[in-house]
Amino acid sequence: MSVNAGLAHVSTDFMIAALLIYSLALLAFAGDYAFGRPRRKAAAAPVAERAAQLAAVGAASAGAASAGTVSAGTVSGDAADAGPANPAGPVARPERPAGAFRAIKDAGPWVVAAASLSWLGILAHVVAVTTRGFAVHRAPWGDMYEFITALTCVAALFFGYILIKYRAWALGVFVMGAIVIALGLAETLIYTPAGPLVPALQSYWLSIHVTAMTLSSGIFFVAAVLGIMYLVTERYRKRVAAGKAEANPLLDRIPSASQLDKLTYRAVVFGFPIWTFGVMAGAIWADQAWGRYWGWDPVETWAFITWVIYAAYLHARATGGWRGVRAHYIQLLGFASLLTNIFVIQIFVTGLHSYAGVQ
Amino acid sequence: MTDVHAPTSKVESKTEAADLEGEATRAFGTGPAELAESGSGGTTGPSGTGAGWGRWAWRQLTSMRTALILLFLLALGSVPGSILPQEGADPASVTQYFTSHPTLAPWLNRLGLFNVFAAPWFAAIYLLLFASLIGCVVPRTFKLVGSARTPPPRAPRNLARLPQSVSYPSALTPGAAVDAAASVLGGQRFRLRRPAAGDSGQWVAAEKGYLREVGNLLFHLSLLGVLVSIALGGLFGYKADQLVVQGPANGFSDTAAALNEFHPGRLVTESDLAPFSLTLDNFTASYVDSGQNIGQPAAFNANVTYHASPGSPAKNYDIQVNHPLSVDSVKVYLIGHGYAPVFTVTGPDGAAYNEATPFIPANSNTMLSDGVVKAPSASLGFIGVFLPTAYLTTDGTLESIFPAANNPMVSLIGYSGNLGMNSDVPQSVYQLDTSQMTKISGSPHLMAPGQTWKLPGKLGSITYVGTEQWVSLEITHDPGQIPALVCGMLALAGLLLSFFVRRRRVFVRAEPGPGGVGSIVTVGGLTRTDASGGFEDEFATLAADIADVSAVDSAVDVSAADPNQPEPNNQSETGA
Repeated sequence: MSVNAGLAHVSTDFMIAALLIYSLALLAFAGDYAFGRPRRKAAAAPVAERAAQLAAVGAASAGAASAGTVSAGTVSGDAADAGPANPAGPVARPERPAGAFRAIKDAGPWVVAAASLSWLGILAHVVAVTTRGFAVHRAPWGDMYEFITALTCVAALFFGYILIKYRAWALGVFVMGAIVIALGLAETLIYTPAGPLVPALQSYWLSIHVTAMTLSSGIFFVAAVLGIMYLVTERYRKRVAAGKAEANPLLDRIPSASQLDKLTYRAVVFGFPIWTFGVMAGAIWADQAWGRYWGWDPVETWAFITWVIYAAYLHARATGGWRGVRAHYIQLLGFASLLTNIFVIQIFVTGLHSYAGVQ
Repeated sequence: MTDVHAPTSKVESKTEAADLEGEATRAFGTGPAELAESGSGGTTGPSGTGAGWGRWAWRQLTSMRTALILLFLLALGSVPGSILPQEGADPASVTQYFTSHPTLAPWLNRLGLFNVFAAPWFAAIYLLLFASLIGCVVPRTFKLVGSARTPPPRAPRNLARLPQSVSYPSALTPGAAVDAAASVLGGQRFRLRRPAAGDSGQWVAAEKGYLREVGNLLFHLSLLGVLVSIALGGLFGYKADQLVVQGPANGFSDTAAALNEFHPGRLVTESDLAPFSLTLDNFTASYVDSGQNIGQPAAFNANVTYHASPGSPAKNYDIQVNHPLSVDSVKVYLIGHGYAPVFTVTGPDGAAYNEATPFIPANSNTMLSDGVVKAPSASLGFIGVFLPTAYLTTDGTLESIFPAANNPMVSLIGYSGNLGMNSDVPQSVYQLDTSQMTKISGSPHLMAPGQTWKLPGKLGSITYVGTEQWVSLEITHDPGQIPALVCGMLALAGLLLSFFVRRRRVFVRAEPGPGGVGSIVTVGGLTRTDASGGFEDEFATLAADIADVSAVDSAVDVSAADPNQPEPNNQSETGA
């Protein structure tokens, strides 16, 4: 079937729009850091209250904890607002967890703007990816450009999800920054016009395998950004604690190391089974297309290496002396091997997966 | 190895240990991984005896740290396999590597780097890793069975010190409030424990989420299953390659003698081959013929007729790239294609050759192909280039500009003399040994279909009759395939269980209210393995559910009862 040129143009336009809106969201996230409403002590680190349950034992005591407020406090600062008319007095009953949209509203206009722009950008991005798919009558991740745009779309969606679930707007500058850079590079450097697929890719396993790989890569992308944040802020905080650097008020806005650590872990825990499934789906497809389910093709080998390194990360978190900084280095090594696979192996090493379409 | 996510961080474990009363966390998430970890790690040396050394070595091997190092080695060891050409995937490139790196290549070969994934050192890494895995999984399985038999621990005295806790007044008596809470927890399939004779107070302890550990064990055992399945395929499977030219005369039977290449597993004999036969009726390749992707393949269809066994009825099938033919337990894949120009060679003594001659594509974009024609009885040989869409460029060179046979031409260089085919040294059908031959004419001779080249000096003639196509088929049999798939799916299921089920404990205690009226109910909860998060919300919802049934019609003045209730870090008060 031929390519629908009109739809392909629509896709390109929406992709540019998404890039612009993401950039605006990035500005709004930065604006929140610079001019945003100062966090109340209790809500100082919104992620904290959601992500770090054990730390919450202490955090909740700082909150307006009244009898009946769950001591781990979902969003302790906001729980007080959402609570009964007399927040100082005890409540009669435990409450069910409070809503997320209210939390965003309470975080101030910058966060509201940033979150809205993020979701608007995500919407444009999804439209762009979908129309590309309709334009070429297949799943829109057949070449490198499509893969990167789909991967960033997943990263943005996953961020949009943790933005709400974990109130993670403090991460916006970093995650959105990375997404804008990756998508911008894809647009400028490796843009490939829509085209049909070679016979080896004409399989519904393309949708299944590459969807899983794209999904997990997008999630690992977010995990990697969180990991870098962890390493940078952890180092800075140690320097501040040692008196080697001046305390920076911006640092208080970034979630604590243990919160970042936990979020990173959750992202990997989310991405790892999808990666595993993607590799398995790839094996099934390889059996259909090439006559064997595993043949140590360079790309297969690197998918395996990436899997092993992320497995090592998961184990490192349960091993004495390997938690924290070391585990994060392993996690970043895993993402590095993922990137190596996409940008080095698929392009420069000849193998069965050489479909990238990058000249 | 293995407790993928038991203690989430050192700091937390410490605070928990300090904060919690021992019993609530007893045997909770402490897998052998942690035991092994504290036991080994190189701090305690082996005792002098042989058994002591053995135990020490086993402890080292099964420690999480060793597993971690082995995982790294596995990843690192795989890298050369993706960078250097490998015997299994691309033997031609390995040969080429030897030619271009004459000093380095033998050394790499000695290290097994051209066949990494079959190298002894690579096998050593993964076998050690799996030994480490077994050493961890087996004791953990016993432990899981044990913990499934014992009831949850008693409720700690001070629930407010648990990571999650909430307290509220109730009009019910302590006993009734706890009964109500127990019914809620029981309804949500928690395992319950109530005070036994001799235990003081009114409480219920509840635990849930044993499937997490089940999933973890399932995952690791299934990986073992995948390894066994791969071994099964290596022992009992086989792989063969066959080039088939279009036409009923060019079919083949699946016998070792007939196959171009045959790679049997270690325990496969020739009689194990599936007895089918196959002919290629028609092969079509279609290409994108306009636009930016011009020349890109769009579809390959190999229409074949096959007999599952001698004497069984003929069947037709359209083999495509993602659409292999299954005959009994073997699959036949389309893995390559090319052109086979048909030549007739006539020597001084008459017809010497009349065959479709497979040419090997030298350029996959234009399908420009190389091949040779050997007519030993006429003492003639030709080295040829086939151009499916021949085009003479402005600078006079001949190119193929499209992969389909739109303007097919062959360009031949003729040789006469001894082809050297009588010697015992086997020759490749794609190479002509010209060492004892003389070149016939200076420049290559270009021919269109139907044209005949009369060779000078009464040597004879060659006619380019027309063009057939060939496909290269791969025939595989892998009995480990289905077991590997099943184990893979089980591993995934285990992974999901171990990540998304959390083992958690919830305790409810009720103390008599102030003045003996009603009660003060405290609900506490903890989890150590909340990989995907969300225990907080679950706890809050659960606490609300419990409150719905146990806090009915509270008549107690709460503020008087317990003015500063959940100050969890303040240890001197609450609930005493």
